[in-house]
Amino acid sequence: MITLNRRRVLATMAVVPALLLGAPAFAQGGDVTLTHYFTGEFGLKIFNEQVAKFEAATDYTIKNSPIGHEDFKTDILVRAAGDSLPDVFSYWAGARTQFVVDSGSLHTIDDMWARDGLDNVVAKSVADSATMYNGARYLVPFNYHYAGMFYNTQVLADAGVTEMPTTWDGFLALCETLKGKGVTPIALGSKNRWPAQFWFDYLLLGTAGPDYRAGLMNGSASYDDAEVKAAMAMWKDLADKGYFAANANADSWTDASDKVARGDAAMTLMGTWITGYWNGLGLEPGTDYDFFPFPAIADGVPVSVVGPVDGLVISNDGENRAGAEAFLSFMMSNADVQASWTGAYGALSANVNVDPANYNVVMQRVSGIVAGADNFAFNYDLATPPPVAEVGLSMFSRFMDDPSKVDDILAQVAADAAQAFTE
Amino acid sequence: MERENRLWRVILLALPVAVFAAFVVWPLASSFYYSFTDWNGFNPDYDFVGFDNFLKIHTDKLFLNATINTAFWIVAAIVVPTALGLGLALLIDSRIPGGPVFKSIFYLPICLSAVVVGQIWVWIYQPDWGLLNTVVEAVSGENFNYAWLAKPDSALWSVILAWSWQQTGLSMVIFLAGLTTIPEELLEVCEIEGAKAFQRIRLVVIPLLTPATVVVIALNVINSLKGFDILYTMTGGGPFNSSDTLAMHMYNESFKKYLMGYGSAISVVLFLIALTIIRLYFRQLRKVDELHG
Repeated sequence: MITLNRRRVLATMAVVPALLLGAPAFAQGGDVTLTHYFTGEFGLKIFNEQVAKFEAATDYTIKNSPIGHEDFKTDILVRAAGDSLPDVFSYWAGARTQFVVDSGSLHTIDDMWARDGLDNVVAKSVADSATMYNGARYLVPFNYHYAGMFYNTQVLADAGVTEMPTTWDGFLALCETLKGKGVTPIALGSKNRWPAQFWFDYLLLGTAGPDYRAGLMNGSASYDDAEVKAAMAMWKDLADKGYFAANANADSWTDASDKVARGDAAMTLMGTWITGYWNGLGLEPGTDYDFFPFPAIADGVPVSVVGPVDGLVISNDGENRAGAEAFLSFMMSNADVQASWTGAYGALSANVNVDPANYNVVMQRVSGIVAGADNFAFNYDLATPPPVAEVGLSMFSRFMDDPSKVDDILAQVAADAAQAFTE
Repeated sequence: MERENRLWRVILLALPVAVFAAFVVWPLASSFYYSFTDWNGFNPDYDFVGFDNFLKIHTDKLFLNATINTAFWIVAAIVVPTALGLGLALLIDSRIPGGPVFKSIFYLPICLSAVVVGQIWVWIYQPDWGLLNTVVEAVSGENFNYAWLAKPDSALWSVILAWSWQQTGLSMVIFLAGLTTIPEELLEVCEIEGAKAFQRIRLVVIPLLTPATVVVIALNVINSLKGFDILYTMTGGGPFNSSDTLAMHMYNESFKKYLMGYGSAISVVLFLIALTIIRLYFRQLRKVDELHG
């Protein structure tokens, strides 16, 4: 039995107010669980440095679980199935985030967005396309990428190429020149299927335009439409002329990048993460490699740029929502974090306060191209629902294996995609 | 005393039973449960769809493709390592020079994980600088850059070869153990009676190796049914589903298309196939036991 005495009463009088005063401070701190796919050797190091900045600026501790890019797709689903999603996780904006939002697994960040004034921080074009789902905000665009034609400057110089093409005819002429000099014009590593999607995206957007493409992505248009056949015919033309390096389906995107870096091929259509990869190999941006935008194809079609947006989202069943919101807000609005991260990772920042001078010369030009484009489109597998994306991605590798079967492939894909849209 | 022993038995059994229940029975029951739903993996809400997922299997071309590939995979993954293992065991048992060294070398791959084996063979099959094409080029004197894992006609067989390379050592060691049980005198009598080497093997050695063969086939069946990781590493079921097995198809439907209910239905079918094969095996095992005591 506890007996009261003066010392105990005094101690209680001192401790209780201290606990009450301390309670808000405790509520503002604690652990925030985080899972993300920024796991390349270099990317992980830089990402961890940004996390350390957040921890230094707040009372929160990040419990960080990086998972390899491909394994992440499975892991996050398994964790969702087990009701064990972390407080915060990285995710791809577009159809994949839409899928998770529709599943009710994400927490809306409208209040945080308004409270922290992110309207004044995030570029409107990216905010409009990447953060809103079903009329509410769910994602902060931690960084974004752009897919362009990255080339080996020495190879093109040796072939006597001084002007980069801006039209489709100019591009065909470039490929012919390179081939005539004994250089393989284009490397494509479609072993993991997704690298081929950029060809389909740009050819379709450049010929049929973004509205038609949006219809194809949501199921209101079909893969055996004349528009898709026309885009695929242009792709087939490139393959038939021998412009692609042999065995595209045997190479990963890094294999294809290596071919360009070594000079075994001249160029590759790839996302800006290739700059981070090449910089890591010691290549000098603007000197060893450069890029040009995918050439315009048809007059009167809006200029589109294609790429993914890497976002950060908050799960609905996380345990530290205040910490999760603080993390998202900090990582998005802190210009130093954004500059350090995107500069090193070979990505672009959607934070308008990041000085473009932070980027290397190639990325500065990329930034200008994206800013001047009429339309920013998510790449194929982020623009259409996952079951349909699986059908389409397989189509691309089938096509690269045997382009002569393009008509059969499209007829089959039209049926399979229609079925997948109902699933 | 007896009561205390019984209590100990229960206590000692409780842990493995709990582990088995948590990691085998519960997931199995969950798969059966979800196979009757349209659950997508993320959404906590789902509907019961009765046998719709199982009916869909009948019209799923990729399921049929995966079933055929699985049949090829299981048959090849049993026959090739068993035949090669037997051949190597007979060679080594014939006391060829360096036999113990070869035995260690051939056994080594089984010590590696399937992922490591898969990656080694990805390099071997690499079209531009892989070992296989380099050898073909050296022999033929012509440029050869066939993409073994990127062509639908060769992808599955290329993985089966890699798998067999890993599994053969295990079969060989079991056959070698079996060969030690065959009496030397019996083989000497055969030789004196004029039986040729091939006849001795066919009529004496192989029949007497039946118990070892049963073990080898059993292990190869079980291992082939588990053979997901090497396929995932080497082809991921590609190119365009040409090396999809049922396990890979289940994975793709569940985790790439987010059709967890349908993926569960595929896993149920895969479970029933495995159960059937194992039942057939046990029936055969009983016959062998009766025959050989």
